[in-house]
Amino acid sequence: MGNQATHTSWLPIELTPMAHDVDTLFYIMLGIVTFFFVLVEVLLITFLIRYRRTRTNRVGANVHGSNLLETIWTAVPAIILVFMGAFSIHYVYALQVPPAQKYVIQVTGHEWYWEFKYPNGVDVQTTFEVPAGQNVLFDITSADVIHGFYIPAVRVQQDALPGRRTQFWMNASTDSIGQTFPVPCDQFCGPGHPAMVAYMKVVSEDEFNRWLNAQLQKQKAGS
Amino acid sequence: MEAVLRQPHVEPRPKSFIRDWVLTVDHKKIGIMYGVTSIFFFLVGGLFALLVRTELLTPHEAFVSAQTYNEFYTMHATIMVFAVIIPFLMGAFANYLVPIQIGARDMAFPRMNALSFWLYFLGGLFMLASIIFGMPDAGWTAYPPYSVTSAGPGIDFWVMAIHVVGLSSILGAINIIVTVLRMRAPGMTFHRLPLFVWSTFVTAWMQLFATPALAGAVTTLLLDRHWHTVFYNASQGGDPMMYQHLFWFYSHPAVYIMIVPAFGIISEVIPVFSRKPIFGYHAIAYSSVAIGFLGFFVWAHHMFVAGMSMSAGIPFMISSLVIAVPTSVKIFNWLATMWRGAVEYEVPMMFASLGFIGSFIIGGFSGTIVAMVPLDMHLHDTYFVVAHIHYVLFGGAVMCIMAGLFYWFPKVTGRMYNNKLGYLGFWLYFIGTQVTFFPMHLLGLAGMPRRIAGYAPEFQFWNDVATIGSYILGVGTIVIVANLVWSAKYGVKVGPNPWKARTLEWQTSSPPPEHNFDEIPVVTDTPYRPYTLPEVSGEPEPEPV
Repeated sequence: MGNQATHTSWLPIELTPMAHDVDTLFYIMLGIVTFFFVLVEVLLITFLIRYRRTRTNRVGANVHGSNLLETIWTAVPAIILVFMGAFSIHYVYALQVPPAQKYVIQVTGHEWYWEFKYPNGVDVQTTFEVPAGQNVLFDITSADVIHGFYIPAVRVQQDALPGRRTQFWMNASTDSIGQTFPVPCDQFCGPGHPAMVAYMKVVSEDEFNRWLNAQLQKQKAGS
Repeated sequence: MEAVLRQPHVEPRPKSFIRDWVLTVDHKKIGIMYGVTSIFFFLVGGLFALLVRTELLTPHEAFVSAQTYNEFYTMHATIMVFAVIIPFLMGAFANYLVPIQIGARDMAFPRMNALSFWLYFLGGLFMLASIIFGMPDAGWTAYPPYSVTSAGPGIDFWVMAIHVVGLSSILGAINIIVTVLRMRAPGMTFHRLPLFVWSTFVTAWMQLFATPALAGAVTTLLLDRHWHTVFYNASQGGDPMMYQHLFWFYSHPAVYIMIVPAFGIISEVIPVFSRKPIFGYHAIAYSSVAIGFLGFFVWAHHMFVAGMSMSAGIPFMISSLVIAVPTSVKIFNWLATMWRGAVEYEVPMMFASLGFIGSFIIGGFSGTIVAMVPLDMHLHDTYFVVAHIHYVLFGGAVMCIMAGLFYWFPKVTGRMYNNKLGYLGFWLYFIGTQVTFFPMHLLGLAGMPRRIAGYAPEFQFWNDVATIGSYILGVGTIVIVANLVWSAKYGVKVGPNPWKARTLEWQTSSPPPEHNFDEIPVVTDTPYRPYTLPEVSGEPEPEPV
């Protein structure tokens, strides 16, 4: 997997426009929590040092509370958090509702490998290819226990459950043509869980069709 | 109280160990037994954590097989949740402190209290027995169908342990609720209750309502395993997701069961060592109630990717974000308590301030990030969540337990811990926590799944850092436990109230007599009164009660 696109200590590359939107939401949240993190840590350290017990500062002030302050530090976080929740709702629907035009790949989790079925009957395991610039819908289920179908570069996962179908869709950017992305199982499924990684190669539409045909010929020859 | 303290104590006849401890119904002794047992299991669970981290030193399965690794992390999490944090807070601290802090002689049902402890002890033995007969390997969540198909007796031991510990938890909760409602000393109104009592009272209600759901989940799991029922068998009409709903209907409130009493400890420690009344008593008390209530409406945030439609997660996202508000209210009130205080850097205060507030907020903030449905789609089941829960449970609950242990140690033993070793333990814990758990955020962002014995080689650097951090925590644990064990026998003797604290447990001898108070105290004021200078008040400290 020489051309694998991974980062080791931050978000992986953004394979889809949706991944970019999700990252933007993440950076907004990260900005907000960093602000409050710094605020609390600075107050904590300042109070620890400034109000430490000394010969001249032997007892604390006679203060029991302040309704104004309570109101402020209840209302401000509440407003920010509910606003952020409401703000993110349209992302949820954008992720959930696939476009009308889409190419459906059936994904099945097994102990311990991934199986991918294409509309023309091609059935592959572990390594699979997807066309760039097209809406691809993964229709996910499991043949045995629960698995988790997770593409970090797309920023989406859905569990693969027996007796239930889950879905998500993506539109891989044409910038990533030729790159391969890890697709780890993200729901514990037994001793084979760590090794249950598929590899998704993003290719151009032409190449994708060539690959599909080649796979189909191979499959016919094999059966 | 002066008069009470000067009354001569009649020396009781020496009792045999069995009579003194095994058959005791004294809430303090039961509390100590809970504490000692919890510390033992803390060492066992910690050992499993170190084995897990050692395996993760290298990307491939070098040290143990994936199967063994799965057993190790399952044992680590199960022991830490069910045999350490919950019994430590709601068994050890609540048992010891609630009756004495409300001015009672014991719990409402002392024999049931002893039964709670021994059931917990039995549940712990089931966990230990599984080390010999076969360990569970399905994680502390034990999701079916994997947990149904998992071979060997491990899961059965796990179910037995959960059942027995769960029953202990329910009985303990009933005891605390009735004790707080019925056993308060004259004048101990609800608005004079110490905040630790408030927090355990709320937590007990959560245990009472949530634990039966867990019992239902694991019972049906056991039936599916051995008696061919199909609760979780999708091919015959069962639904694996139903288990997750039942499990999290307990286990999300359980996260609050593990942190709300810990908040209660902090609300006692910070005002005492700031020499100042707690800031916003009512806000802190009622924010616990709010957490207890809201805690029942967030469970499905564990299941955003589990097969619900994504939009079904929206109400749970909003409730999960809203539940951060009462927690942040507490944080600001604790900070405001230190503001214009006279802060003493005693060991319990170090754990409570820098240790707890300084670390726990990272877990709180990462919680708001994973609460958001679109972000959880990426971060769910990655190391980001592992980082989050460990900042909540280690940076949060364990730091509070340590604050509480050092704070009440002189009360329970009548002796002071070794101060230098106390600071050493604190710094090892504080640094170890950051080194172990902070890198996990980065691994999670990069997409490293949790519960894997082997991982992609590019993740090795941060995994090695985390493993080194875990060894620092291991050393810290040895330093802390050795300090407490040694000091319990050889520490400097202390008087009834070395911290000049105001809650009732400090107004009786250290350790307190079996009946707590020679005379039931009459309470006339809140324990959170302002401190005055000795030359102004004319006394070393103002008279309590």
